[in-house]
Amino acid sequence: MNHVFRKLPVTVTQQASILSPSLCRTTPSIQHPVWCTASVGDREYKGMPTHGIGRWKYLLPRQAPKKKKDKTQMKQMVSATDTAYGTLNVKVSGYDMTVVEHYSQYIHNLCNRLGVQVAESYALPTKSTEVMLMQEQGNKMYVDAVLKTHQRVVQLSSLNTSLCPIFVDVLLKNQPEGVQLSVKEHTEADFQARFKARPELEGLIAQINQ
Amino acid sequence: MAAVCLQRLPVITADCSPIEQRFKQMMQQMELEKSLLSDHELRLMEDAERMSRKQGNEYDSDEEEGHGDQEIMLAQDLEDTWEQRFKSFQPAPRVRADLDKDLTSVQRCLADSLVLLAEQQVGAEKLWLLPQAAWQEGETLRQTAERALCSVTAAGFKATFLGNAPCGVYKYKLPKATRTESSVGTKVFFFKAILADSAPGTAPNTALLWVKKSELQKYLKPAYMMKVDRFILSL
Repeated sequence: MNHVFRKLPVTVTQQASILSPSLCRTTPSIQHPVWCTASVGDREYKGMPTHGIGRWKYLLPRQAPKKKKDKTQMKQMVSATDTAYGTLNVKVSGYDMTVVEHYSQYIHNLCNRLGVQVAESYALPTKSTEVMLMQEQGNKMYVDAVLKTHQRVVQLSSLNTSLCPIFVDVLLKNQPEGVQLSVKEHTEADFQARFKARPELEGLIAQINQ
Repeated sequence: MAAVCLQRLPVITADCSPIEQRFKQMMQQMELEKSLLSDHELRLMEDAERMSRKQGNEYDSDEEEGHGDQEIMLAQDLEDTWEQRFKSFQPAPRVRADLDKDLTSVQRCLADSLVLLAEQQVGAEKLWLLPQAAWQEGETLRQTAERALCSVTAAGFKATFLGNAPCGVYKYKLPKATRTESSVGTKVFFFKAILADSAPGTAPNTALLWVKKSELQKYLKPAYMMKVDRFILSL
């Protein structure tokens, strides 16, 4: 506690001396402690010499504050031109998750290398398929196995027509076993299919419309 | 002129080289040692424990709760039925030496990708080339390539063309005897296609071969081979 009180009169007098040296001629120099008489006029800042050395946010451009209530919008779909295809969905699906994921990572890395711009890379929900076999003796079906189909999608924003056959050829040659590859154009319906249906909301909207 | 490079993709995986095999074994062993027990293995252990307790003197069946179903069908029995089914399954042989030697069959060398070659009359001589056809007014080059596939092979191959852009070009000058005022030589544009189904409908009228990239050199002319080599990927 003592050191705080000791510092206060020092800073007050120093500030006064910086702002108006002429006024402070009246303040007796006895109030200044011995150890800061030499550098009184040179100090332009308060506190430590390194005050504010790590500030960087003031250098960034101004960003509008992010509202949390925005619904996730779809990224703009690029339309096909004469020399390039539009937004394409490369879908990889299979039963073995590690293989499917590694293949989709390989596709993503290949696109980065070749300069093809990747818009998004996401996973669709896993579908479980139950394999049921007929029992030998009876008529009942019993569950034999549960197979899970995993799907990963790499969305490319545009693909040059000249690059397309080479790209697809490389993908096909490197396709691992047990994995299906499909390349399709991206549609609004594809985007909407990723969201869960909200039956209560739809019911209320229908009621309002009626 | 437009030509089509029809490829049949490999049907089975290529065999691993010795280093790859050793690495694969090591990785499998590491993953096995690091992994947790699965549901089936836990059930096996529980059943074994229960059997040993049953054989013991102080066994009170009322103490066992909720295991009625599992006592009828033990996990070990399930495993035995699976083993039997596996033994009775006969997979098809991976490599068939007789088919591999038959250059005209589509089923040869299932682990590699094959390219279709056709013997065509060019000028005065018969050469082995990728199937090609002359371009006509009013059609795109890709349509010419599709026509080349249908007409030269006449075998009803179903192919998916990979794009509208050609992947390679070969130009040559005609010998002085056949040069006219307008055409000094020809350019051949190559288009890539992938074979969709492997059963051709009708018998082809021209000689067709399915060759691997390493065997291409025996059939193609050197200058032609140099250009074609650049776009055929051997992965």
